[in-house]
Amino acid sequence: MVHTMQQNNAPVEFNAKPRKFAMWLFVVSSIIMFGGFTSYYLVFSASKGKGHGLVLPDAFMYSTAVLVLSSVFLFLAARALRNKQLKQQQLYLWITVILGLVFAYLQFRAWSSLYLSGAVLINNNAAISMVYLLSGMHLLHIVAGLALVISALVGSYGKIDHAKLVYRQDIASIFWHFIDILWIYLYVFLLLNS
Amino acid sequence: MSTISTHDTHHDDHGHHHETFLTKYVFSQDHKMIAKQFLITGIIMAVIAMILSILFRIQLAWPDHNFPLLEQLLGKWAEGGRIRPDFYLALVTIHGTIMVFFVLTAGLSGTFSNLLIPLQVGARDMASPFLNMLSYWFFFAACVIMMSSFFIQTGPAAAGWTVYPPLSAVPKAIPGSGLGMTLWLISMILFVASSLMGGINYVSTILNMRTKGMDFWKMPLTIWAFFLTAVLGILSFPVLVAGVVLLIFDRSVGTSFYLSDMVFGTQIMPNEGGSPILWQHLFWFLGHPEVYIVIMPAMGLSSEIIAVNSRKPIFGYHAMVYSLIGITVLSLIVWGHHMFVTGMNPFLGGVFMITTLIIAVPSAVKTFNWLATLWKGNIRFTPGMLFAIGMVSFFISGGLTGIWLGNATLDINLHDTYFVVAHFHLVMGSAAIFGMLAGVYHWFPKMFGRLMDSKLAYLHFWVTFVCTYLVFFPLHFLGLDGVPRRYYAFTEFEFMHKWMTVNKLVTWSAIVAGLAQVAFLFNFFYSIFRGKRAPQNPWESNTLEWTTPVERIHGNWPGEIPTVHRWPYDYSKPGSESDFIPQTVPFSETMSSNLFHDFEGNTEAEQIQREWNAKNDPSKNNE
Repeated sequence: MVHTMQQNNAPVEFNAKPRKFAMWLFVVSSIIMFGGFTSYYLVFSASKGKGHGLVLPDAFMYSTAVLVLSSVFLFLAARALRNKQLKQQQLYLWITVILGLVFAYLQFRAWSSLYLSGAVLINNNAAISMVYLLSGMHLLHIVAGLALVISALVGSYGKIDHAKLVYRQDIASIFWHFIDILWIYLYVFLLLNS
Repeated sequence: MSTISTHDTHHDDHGHHHETFLTKYVFSQDHKMIAKQFLITGIIMAVIAMILSILFRIQLAWPDHNFPLLEQLLGKWAEGGRIRPDFYLALVTIHGTIMVFFVLTAGLSGTFSNLLIPLQVGARDMASPFLNMLSYWFFFAACVIMMSSFFIQTGPAAAGWTVYPPLSAVPKAIPGSGLGMTLWLISMILFVASSLMGGINYVSTILNMRTKGMDFWKMPLTIWAFFLTAVLGILSFPVLVAGVVLLIFDRSVGTSFYLSDMVFGTQIMPNEGGSPILWQHLFWFLGHPEVYIVIMPAMGLSSEIIAVNSRKPIFGYHAMVYSLIGITVLSLIVWGHHMFVTGMNPFLGGVFMITTLIIAVPSAVKTFNWLATLWKGNIRFTPGMLFAIGMVSFFISGGLTGIWLGNATLDINLHDTYFVVAHFHLVMGSAAIFGMLAGVYHWFPKMFGRLMDSKLAYLHFWVTFVCTYLVFFPLHFLGLDGVPRRYYAFTEFEFMHKWMTVNKLVTWSAIVAGLAQVAFLFNFFYSIFRGKRAPQNPWESNTLEWTTPVERIHGNWPGEIPTVHRWPYDYSKPGSESDFIPQTVPFSETMSSNLFHDFEGNTEAEQIQREWNAKNDPSKNNE
C-alpha cells in the first residue's frame, strides 16, 4: 500500500479559498498598475500645468451606465445560483455578457468621436494620449472579465460540481465588479482632472 | 481521515498513476519540480551573465589590446579582436538585466519560494499549481526572448538595465535602441507576468494553506522573507508594467509620454511635451523595491541556515520579522534616492534621504542578530553555512556605503560612478548570490536526494569569496576619484590612466572567480546523478521539509500532513536530550526541556508541566 501511495498524486480536494484569494491579489496588482498610470497623469499635469482639456464624449457616460447595469445583472446571477436556479443564472449571465460587449462597442464609439474631434492618440499632449491608454488598458480587462463570465456560463450549462460552479461564479463576480468600479474611478478621474 | 484505510482510498480516488516524461519533467505542476526548473534555468542565465561580465571586464582591463579569439567568438561585435563600443554597452545592459531579474528574482525567489513554501508551511502544493507552471513557462519564454536579441543584426538593448528614455524610446538613437530594445520590453512584460503569477501564488499559499498549528509566529524566517518578498512584488511590479506600456507606445506608436524637444541629427523629432523623468519615477518605484525583492529571500535563507548550523535559536526572531516588515514598507518610499541629481526639489530629496537612511535601522538589526546567533554557537561549517556567513559579510560591507550614497549631498559627487557599482554589487549582487548559493548547498539534498561534495564546495567558497572582494572593493576608490560607470575605455581620459592597473587586478580576479564557478557547476550537476545519497534530515534541522521522505512524491507527505507544535528554532534547548527538536514534536514528549513561556499562556499545559517538574526536577518550578 505504501508503494502505491507514493506513486499517487496528492488528494486534489477542491479548495476554492486560496484561489479566490489569489484573484483578490490580482485585483490588488491591477489597482497598482492603474495607480501607476493615473499617478503619471497627475505628475505630468502638475508639472506641465495642463490636463487633457477635453469635454469627454457622451459615449463614456453611456458606457458607464451600461457597465453598472451589467454588474447588477451579474449580482442577480450570483443570487440565482445561490438559490440553485440555474436557468435564471444562465439568463442573467447572458445579459451580463451582452452588456459587456455593448460597453466595448461604446468605448470604440467614444474613441472615434475623440478622434473626429481632433484629440488623437499621437498627441503632443500626453494627457490626451493617456485618455486612450487608460480606457484601452481597461478594455483589455473587460476582455479578460468576459472570459471569466463565459467560463461561469459554460460551467452552468456543463456538468460540473456545484462547488466548482460557485467558484467560477465567484471569480467572475470579484473581477467583474472590480473592473466596473475601476472604470467608474477612471471616468471620474478623467472628469476631475481635465 | 481517521483510519489508514479511508486515507488510502482517498489517495487512489484522485491519483494520477501514470506520469509521463512530459508531465513529470516539462509541464510539471509539482512545486518541487518547478523549483528545480527555476533553479537550473537561473544557473544557466547566471553563467551567461557572468561570461558577459568577463567580456566587458576584458575590454576595461586591456582597451588597447587585440584579442583575435574574441573576433572568432563574437564576429563583427569584436572586429579586429576588440569589443565595439555599442556592443560593450549591450554587454553591461544585458548583464544587469539578467542578474537582477532573471537570476536574483526568478532564479532565487522562483526556486526557493517554490521549493520551501509548501514544504515548510505544510501544504500539498501551491494554491494554484497550474498558475505555478505557467509562471515558469512565462519566465522561460522571457529568457529565450532576451537571449534571442544576441542573434539579431543590431544587437541587444544597450540603454543600461534601467532603460532610460530617450535611448530606450527612440528606436534610431543607437543600434541597441532598435529591435533589441523591443525584444527587451517584450521579455520584461513576460517576466513581470511570470513573477506576478508566482507572487500571487506564494502569498495565497502562505496565508491560506498552512498546516494545523502553523501560526504566523511559528513560521520559519525563510517563509516570512518569501512572503514579504512576494507582497513587495505584487505592490511594485505592476508599476513597471505601467511604465513599460507607455514606453512601448512612445517607441512604436509615436506618443510623447517620455519624449520632448529632441533633435536627431539635423532632423527635429515630432514628439513634444513628454518628460523622461517620469519614466525614472515609474521605473524606480519598482526598481528600489526590486533590490529588496532580491535580497530578502537571501536574508531568509541565511537566517535559517545560520540558526541550523550554529545549533542555536535565531537571535531575536520577532525582531527579525519586524525588520523584514520594516524593510518592506520603507522600500516603497525611497525610490527618489536614485534621482537626487535629476533636478528634484531639494526638500523632496531630503525626504527621500531620511526614509533611505532609516532603512539602515532594520538592516542593522538583522545584521547584529545574525552575528549574535553565531556568537558562542556550536558552529558547523557546512558549505551552506559558509555561504550564509559570506552573505552577511557582503551585506555589511556593501550596506555601509549605502549610508554614503543615501545622503543627497554626497550623492551629487558619487552618483553614476564606480562607487555606486561597488556598493550595489556587494550589498545586493554578491550578498544575494551568496544567499542563493547557501540555499543551493543547504537544500540540495531536499531537491535531489543526494549531497553535494563538500571539498569542491569549500574550494568554490573560498576562491569566490576572496575574488569577489578583490573585484568590488577596489572599485570604491575609482568612484571616489570620480570615474564614471559604463565608460568604454579608460585610456581616453587623462585622469583615469592611473586606474588601469587596478582594472587589470579587478579583471584577473573576475576571471579567477569565474573559473571557481566551474567547481560549483561540476559539483552541482555531478551530484544530481552521482552524489552521496542523503539521509532524510542531513543537517539535523527542525523545519517541516525534512519530515518528508527523501524520494520525490507528489503531495509531499505520504500520510497526513504533520501538525506543528512549536517554533522552528528549538536548537540546543537546555534539558533536551538531542540538540534539535523538530517542529512536529509535541511538548508532551519534551517535558524535560519545556519552559513556561513555550505554552503561550495555556494555563492547563503550564499546570501539567508544573506537576511534572515537581516530580522530576523541582528546581525548574522556581524559574
